[in-house]
Amino acid sequence: MSITGVRRVGTFLAVVGLLGLGVVYWLSFFWVSTEASQGIVQRIFYVHPPAAWTAFFAFGIAALTSGMYLWLRDERLDWAALSAAEGGMVFGTIMLITGPLWGRIAWGTYWTWEPRLTLTLLLWFIFLGYFMVRRSTENPEQGKRFSAVVAIVGALLIPFIHLSVVWFRSLHPEPVVVRPDGPLLPGDMLTLLLTSLAVFLVLFLGLFMLRYTLEGIRADLQVRARRAAA
Amino acid sequence: MVEARGLVREYGAVVAVDGVDLTLGEGEFLTVFGPNGAGKSSLLGMLGGALRPTRGTVAVRGRPLDFGDVAWRRSIGMVSHRGFLYPQLTAEENLRFYGRLFGLPDLDELIPERLARVGLADRARFAVHKLSHGMRQRLALARALLHDPELVLLDEPYTGLDPAAAAVLRQVLEELGDRRRTVVMVTHNLTEGLALATRVAIQIRGRLAWQSVAADVDRAGFEHRYHEVVEGWP
Amino acid sequence: MRQVGVIVWKDLLLELRTRERFAAMGSFAVLAGVLFNFSIDASLVRPQDVAAGLIWMTIVFDGLLGLGRTFHLEGEDGAFQGVLMSPAPKDAIFLGKAISNFVLLYAVALLVLGVFMLFFGLEIGSSPLALLLALGLGVLGFVALATLFAAVSSGTRMGETMLPILVFPLLVPMVIYGAGATGRLLAGRPVAEVAGNLRVLAAFALVALAAGAGLFRFVVED
Repeated sequence: MSITGVRRVGTFLAVVGLLGLGVVYWLSFFWVSTEASQGIVQRIFYVHPPAAWTAFFAFGIAALTSGMYLWLRDERLDWAALSAAEGGMVFGTIMLITGPLWGRIAWGTYWTWEPRLTLTLLLWFIFLGYFMVRRSTENPEQGKRFSAVVAIVGALLIPFIHLSVVWFRSLHPEPVVVRPDGPLLPGDMLTLLLTSLAVFLVLFLGLFMLRYTLEGIRADLQVRARRAAA
Repeated sequence: MVEARGLVREYGAVVAVDGVDLTLGEGEFLTVFGPNGAGKSSLLGMLGGALRPTRGTVAVRGRPLDFGDVAWRRSIGMVSHRGFLYPQLTAEENLRFYGRLFGLPDLDELIPERLARVGLADRARFAVHKLSHGMRQRLALARALLHDPELVLLDEPYTGLDPAAAAVLRQVLEELGDRRRTVVMVTHNLTEGLALATRVAIQIRGRLAWQSVAADVDRAGFEHRYHEVVEGWP
Repeated sequence: MRQVGVIVWKDLLLELRTRERFAAMGSFAVLAGVLFNFSIDASLVRPQDVAAGLIWMTIVFDGLLGLGRTFHLEGEDGAFQGVLMSPAPKDAIFLGKAISNFVLLYAVALLVLGVFMLFFGLEIGSSPLALLLALGLGVLGFVALATLFAAVSSGTRMGETMLPILVFPLLVPMVIYGAGATGRLLAGRPVAEVAGNLRVLAAFALVALAAGAGLFRFVVED
C-alpha cells in the first residue's frame, strides 16, 4: 500500500474509531446496567482495561516490527515500530491516569499493586526507554537500532514480569480486588467491554497508520532536501 | 584483490563518503591524501569491514564482505590513530590477547619475534601506558600484522611520530611490499605517503578527486599539485 | 566459542591489574550495608525481615555502578574496535563480557550477603547451597541484561546514566523472585518452597543471555 493509501485508510479508521469512542461513552453512561457493588464509578471499566490491552497490543506490534527491521533493514518497518510505540504509550498513559482515578473513588486509594496496573506502568517505562534511546544517539541510524533492541528485549521479558507481578500480588493480597472480567460478567457489560476493545483497537490502528504516514513523509522530505543540497 | 563500487557512507544527514569506486590489485600500495573531514577514515573503515557502507559494496578477492560472517576478517589488519590497545596490560599481553582471539598458533615464539621486528623486544613486559607514543604506534602495527593479513589498512600512522619511530614504520611497511600484501594508507605526510606507494589518490569531501599511478607522479612537485587539486575542487 | 574464554581471560586480567571496579563495588557493598542499617528503625521493624530485599537492591545498585563501565576500559584506546574487527563472532564477544561481569558481580554479591549477615544478624538459613544458587541465577540474568544495555547506553549521549532507566523495569522478576527466595531461605523455610522461584530465575537468566547474545551484534555494528 502506498503512503497515500495508508493515509486514507488511517484517516478512515481514526474517524470511525473516534465516532465509536463517542458511542462507547454514550453506551457506558446510558445503556449498560449499573454494577452492583461499585455503582456509577465502575463504568470507567469500559475505558480502563481496553486501553491497557491496546497498549500491550501496540507494544507487541512495535516489538515485532522492530525485529523485522533488524532483520530486513527496511526503513518502513522502523516507521511502523515508532508509530506503534507512540500509540502504545498514549494508550498506556490513558490507562495509568484512569486507573488511579478509579482506584481513588472506588476503593479509596490511588495506587494498588494490581497486576495489570503494575504491568502497564512497567511497560510505560520500557516505552520511555525506547524513545530516550532513540533520541540520544549521535547517529540516527544507531538510535533506530538501539530502540529496536529495547523493544525486542522488553517483549521477551514481559511474560516474566507479568508472572512475577501476579505472584507478588498473590502473596500480599490487597483488601479490595475487583473481578469485573471473566465469565462472571453479565451479558450487556461483556458486550460493551468487547465493543469498547474493538473501538480502541480501531482507533489505535487509525492513529498508527496516520503516524506511519507522517514518518513516511518526513523521510521523503529528508531525501529531497539532501538531493537539493547536492 | 579489493574492489569497491559506489561506496557511500552517511551519518544521518552528513555524507562522509559520496560514491567512491576503487580497484586494487594484489601487492598494490595505495596512499590516500586529503584535507581533514574528507571522509578518508570512513573510506578506510568501509574497506576494512569496520563500517557498514550506507550504499555500495566492497569485495575482497571477488567476495563481497558479508557482515553476518567472520572468516574474512582474518585477511584484514587495521592500524588506526587509536592503537586498539589496552593501556593497563603489557605489550606482550596485548599481543597475546589478539593472538588468542585470532586463534594463532605458537604464540610463545610469534610474539617475541614480532616485538623484535618493531624494535620493542626489550619492552615486552612494559604496560602500554608507560610506552611513548611512538612505541605505542609500533606496538599497534605489530598487533595489526600479527595474523599476517593480506589487506593492511593504515589510518594516519605517521601522526605524532618522531623520526626514529617513523623510520621503523617505514621499514615495516617496506617489508609489507615484499610480501605481496595489499596496503591502503591514509596520511598527511606527503613524503612518506609517496615513498612506498604504487597508487596515489586525493580525497576531497567524500569523493576521489584525483587518482594516479605513483610512477607518473612528480615527487618534487607533488605538494604543489596537491594544493592545486584541493583548491581547485568545487 | 573458544574466543569467549579469551575475552574472559583478558577482562579478568584487566580487573586484576586495575582493581578499580572491584574496589568501587566492594566499598559500595559495605557502605550500603552501613547506611541501610542506619535507615532502619529497629524499634518499628525487625531488620531480619527486610534484609532480603535490601540485599538484592544493594546488588542491583552495585551492579549498575560496576557494569555501566563494562565498555569504558575498552573505549580508552579504541581497543573494542579491534575486537570487533577480529574473527570473533559477536555473540561470543557478548558471552565473554557477560561471563567476566558475572564473575565480578557474583563475587560482590557474596560480599554483600556476608556484610548484611554480619550487620543485620542473619542466620545462613535452611540451605546455603540454594541461597548461593538463587544469588547466582539472579546475578546471571541481571548481568546479561546489564551487559547488553551497557553497550547501548555507552553509545548514547547520556552514557551510563541511561543504564538504570533501560534495565530497571526488566529487573522486576529478578528482584521479586530473587528476594522472595532469599527471604524464605534466610528465614529457614524448606528449599522445596523456593524451587519454583529458582526455576523462574533460571529461565529468566537463560532468556536474557540468549537475547543478549542474539541482539549484541545489532548494538555494536556500525
